[in-house]
Amino acid sequence: MFFLHNLERRVTLHPSYFGRNMHELVTTKLVKDVEGTCAGDYYIIAIMDTFDVSEGRILPGSGLAEFTVGYRAVVWRPFKGEVIDAITQTVNPHGFFAQAGPLRLFVSSQLMPDEIQYDASATPAQFTNNADIVIEHGTHVRVKIIGLRTEVGEMWAIGSINGDFLG
Amino acid sequence: MALANGPFQFAADSESEDDNFNPAPADLSDEENDDESGQRATDKGAQRASSPAAQKDGNNEDEDEERPPSKSPLKRPREEDEEDDENGDEEEVEEDGDGGNGDDEEDEEEEEEEDEEDEDVQHRHRRKRRKDHRAAFFDIEAEVEDEDEAEEDEKEGEEIEDFIDNAHPDDIADSGHLEDDRRHRELDRRRELEASMDAEKQAEILRARYGKRAPARGYGEMTVVPKRLLLPSVDDPGIWAVRCKEGKEREVVFSIMRRMEERLNSRGDAPITAAFERAGPNSVMKGYIYVEARRQNDVMIALDGILNVYPRTKMMLVEIKDMPDLLRVTKTPNLEPGAWVRLKKPAKHAGDLAQVLDVTENGLEARVRFIPRLDYGVRDDALSSLTPDGKRKRPGMPGPRPPQRLFSEVEARKRHPRHIQGNPQTNTWTYMGEDFENGFQVKDIKIQHLEVKDVNPTLEEVTKFASGSEDGTENLDLKALAASLKDNNVTYVPGDVIEVFEGEQRGVVGRVTNVQGDIVTLKVTEGDLAGQTIEVPNKGLRKRFRTGDHVKVIGGSRFRDEVGMIVKIVEDRVTLVTDQTNTEITVFSKDLREASDIGGQGSLGQYSLLDLVQLDPTTVGCIVKVDRESMVVLDQNGETRQVLPSQIANKLPKRRTAVAADRNGSEIRLDDVVREYGGQQRQGKIIHIHRSFVFLHSNATTENAGVFVTRAGNVTTIAAKGGRINNANTGPDLSTMNPALKRNPAGNNNMPPPKSFGPDRAINQTVSIRRGGYKGLMGIVKDTTDSHARVELHGRNKIITVPKADLIFRDKVTGKPIDIYSRSGRGGFGAPARGGFGGPGEWSGGSRTPMGAGGGERTPAWGSSKSIARTPAWGRAETSGSRTPAWGDGSRTVNPYDGNRTAYGGATAYGGSRTPAWSSSAKTPAHDGFGHGSKTPAYGAGGSDPWGSKTPAYGVSAPTPGASGADSWGYTPGPSGGSHAFDAPTPGAGLGAPTPAALNAPTPGAYSAPTPAAISAPTPGAWQGGWGADAAPTPAVGAPTPAASGGYYGAPTPAAYGGAPETPAASAEIRYAEDD
Repeated sequence: MFFLHNLERRVTLHPSYFGRNMHELVTTKLVKDVEGTCAGDYYIIAIMDTFDVSEGRILPGSGLAEFTVGYRAVVWRPFKGEVIDAITQTVNPHGFFAQAGPLRLFVSSQLMPDEIQYDASATPAQFTNNADIVIEHGTHVRVKIIGLRTEVGEMWAIGSINGDFLG
Repeated sequence: MALANGPFQFAADSESEDDNFNPAPADLSDEENDDESGQRATDKGAQRASSPAAQKDGNNEDEDEERPPSKSPLKRPREEDEEDDENGDEEEVEEDGDGGNGDDEEDEEEEEEEDEEDEDVQHRHRRKRRKDHRAAFFDIEAEVEDEDEAEEDEKEGEEIEDFIDNAHPDDIADSGHLEDDRRHRELDRRRELEASMDAEKQAEILRARYGKRAPARGYGEMTVVPKRLLLPSVDDPGIWAVRCKEGKEREVVFSIMRRMEERLNSRGDAPITAAFERAGPNSVMKGYIYVEARRQNDVMIALDGILNVYPRTKMMLVEIKDMPDLLRVTKTPNLEPGAWVRLKKPAKHAGDLAQVLDVTENGLEARVRFIPRLDYGVRDDALSSLTPDGKRKRPGMPGPRPPQRLFSEVEARKRHPRHIQGNPQTNTWTYMGEDFENGFQVKDIKIQHLEVKDVNPTLEEVTKFASGSEDGTENLDLKALAASLKDNNVTYVPGDVIEVFEGEQRGVVGRVTNVQGDIVTLKVTEGDLAGQTIEVPNKGLRKRFRTGDHVKVIGGSRFRDEVGMIVKIVEDRVTLVTDQTNTEITVFSKDLREASDIGGQGSLGQYSLLDLVQLDPTTVGCIVKVDRESMVVLDQNGETRQVLPSQIANKLPKRRTAVAADRNGSEIRLDDVVREYGGQQRQGKIIHIHRSFVFLHSNATTENAGVFVTRAGNVTTIAAKGGRINNANTGPDLSTMNPALKRNPAGNNNMPPPKSFGPDRAINQTVSIRRGGYKGLMGIVKDTTDSHARVELHGRNKIITVPKADLIFRDKVTGKPIDIYSRSGRGGFGAPARGGFGGPGEWSGGSRTPMGAGGGERTPAWGSSKSIARTPAWGRAETSGSRTPAWGDGSRTVNPYDGNRTAYGGATAYGGSRTPAWSSSAKTPAHDGFGHGSKTPAYGAGGSDPWGSKTPAYGVSAPTPGASGADSWGYTPGPSGGSHAFDAPTPGAGLGAPTPAALNAPTPGAYSAPTPAAISAPTPGAWQGGWGADAAPTPAVGAPTPAASGGYYGAPTPAAYGGAPETPAASAEIRYAEDD
């Protein structure tokens, strides 16, 4: 689910950039540092704006200036039970991996409808029910998240396509 | 006698007792009937004496009571007298609510047997009577027996049941009136007694008697009679343990029983009271049967001629105190087909899991199937051969045991085609005397050779059995598996979410709050009971998880410590996808625990997953799997190996700055995504760069945790981390130096050492070789290239090629090391200046010894330079053969060999390490010095009268640079002048050469050596102290310069000189940077 979230971050700037457009540079650096990263259990998708750039403080020793910046960002937090669209990346006998934006998903063969079977003979390998559903590399799937794992800088989910309107 | 027959028995009891105690004469006759029936039953009971049930009765306390009957022939009169009392007793006893004609009857069996042995057939009648009246007396024992009954086997009970069934018809049919008189008397007495009591008391008695009856019926008065009273005493018959054939115990007992049946009432009727066996598969009492009898001889009679039992051998009398133990019932684990067991005996298979197919009738052997360990004769030769010392190997010697593998007919045929026969259709084979079905070995094994308890088969073991089925489908008998796992008590920890799956609370889900022994207290979280706290035995519990839960395997399975997310739950089997390898594993829910969200797993000691480790000096590897004690490492050659932490030399820290060049020559760094150029075109993120190898990680494969290794030159960049490629678009890196403000340091850095022109001055120099096989030899340089010199050795007539860096240039005459390239540096500059100052006298002195030349007379700086303590570099230069601190210092600091000793030098073989040494200590200052120096002597020569005029070379050279300016002046004239000067015998030239060399050498040396230190040291003190000495000479040198030059060439010198201080500094900086 997407949220607009107010966040705060400390940004450091090299002294050689001190000057008139310093705040602009700070914002640039913030965007560069933060956008597209995973902060614990959510992803920071985009920074809308910065609303509070503190006064810079010179860090002793390095001479870098540190700014505390408050900013508003669009974040995405996947939830258990959430249904998302993803694109299949790899298919193996145990299931397939899919990517939903920055999030990697694994859908186990246990979590597929019974009629969907792995077909190793097809190229590329695929999951299929021998009718209308074929899941192979690049297929768009709709997956329900049933488990989430967060690591430092990474999230990882297990999904299911076993349910109505999923697959 | 077991509970099962309770209804019958008690039905009878109640009837009889009612009859007994209701003082109606008619009833008495009934009781007599009962007694009679008892008598009859006795006969039958005797037949069954051998049955365990009977034995039980027999060996127990009843014996006390039986004793009187045995003596009865003699004591008859007295007994009769006592009867009344006994009846009184009886009444009281029965007030306890006990009853049991059935019991009476059983007691009578015993009596009967004993009587039989003593008495003749004609006594029978009398005995019967006697028994009858005693029947009531035995009620007390009835209680006892009840207790024992509880423990009895059902089988035994059934026998008794039969017996009672039979007894009842007897009752009806046989209504003897033998003891009418006595009964009547009895009745009279009782009536009297009752009359003597008041009504209230009577009521109480009645209540006590009947009020308790109902409960008494069900389960007997187990607690009413203290157990110790039931124990056998010396008055009871003895029990003899008789040897028999092991495994035939039961058979023997049955044949005893048959014999008793046959000989019943005949002469051969054996006077034993019971026979039983306690042989179980694991029993210590196997190989024995136990016979209860009054005398040992009775036992002999009873066992005479029975097969498989050896009464003639030592017969042991069981001690009284051991008797109860003998009959202690231990629950024997019941083997059922499908159950899992472990083999203990054949040693080859010890510990292997086996599945019970069938249990033989006698319960001693079980047919089990297990996975064979066959080598198909591969090791036969080895076994039959002789050991090295000539002895034949012992056949029993255990070799390494072959791995478990399903039987393969093909393999078997290879070596033992004659030993195999069977039916390919049913896939049953006999090979080397063993049976195989569907690949499994099938064998009858004694139950005592099976481990029945605590089998705990792991899922993978069991799966082997399952996968053995022809169709390959999973046909696990999970029920049996669960049963065999049940013994294994799962421990629950407060906080576990558990589910009750058995019993009344079935379906309740809650969270454990407390665990005490087997009782688990849980707080219900779901359903109607939510919020309540209930206690449940942990037997009917299992842990509960949901799909998607993040769990850790804790149990004994081989997946221990794996962490993953649950994808499927079936009953108590849970399938999860592991975090590390993205593979699916199935474990029991009891082996799982909820894991904290951060899988803190994948590390063993200091090594964790995906670390780069040094296996041996030439091999590195990336950890791709971490187990409990070992880990799997993918080495640089792409091979995996299992290693222990102790086998790892050390862990290589991740070098963030490591850079390699890909196939296209572009730079690749850690975290870049690259693809293999050829081969499988695998794509991955760089996790390590080690020399030319890159370790890549890919999520596409689960093999080796997605890690693979390839050569840096074999990959192409797909995307560089942090958009290094498109960095330009996003703007500068704001955490580092603003590039716009940078003063082209890169340009400086990359500037090659200035070229020198003209013939190499090294040619014709006398050198000694510093390194290699020719170390220490002197020679003359005949020819040079950029890096090498051809040296004609003095000692041998040979010209060798030596790297220039390995040469020490020496003065031809003195043999002192000189620096030919810097011969005209600042020293050169200073020297003529000094010459100018000091005049020729001074000069000559200075020329010979730089120290002297420094002289110290003029400047305190030089004075200080005289002292050894000037700088360490200097001091060393003095004492060691290498005169020039530049050399000495250079060799020490940036010597390639030294470099090799430093951490990075060895691994990366930094070719550059040589270069800075060159450029900084040798070339750059040399050049700089030369640049100025070339000018200086020229000028100096021109300017200073004493010797400039004397040496035409100088004189000639002087104008040349002056005129030519930039290009040609620098080198050409200088060296020419220098070389001439060297060769020239003139004192001037002679002076000229060594002096600048000597002077000049220390100067840049001093500069280059301490400079980095001084610069890097933040305290000015260091500068002052370490460098002050040198700082002083600089102005000192500087001072004479204008003096020497006077107003005469003022412009160029300061200019040149002005550059000088900067130059060494710059050079030092360069060197510092490069060294690092």
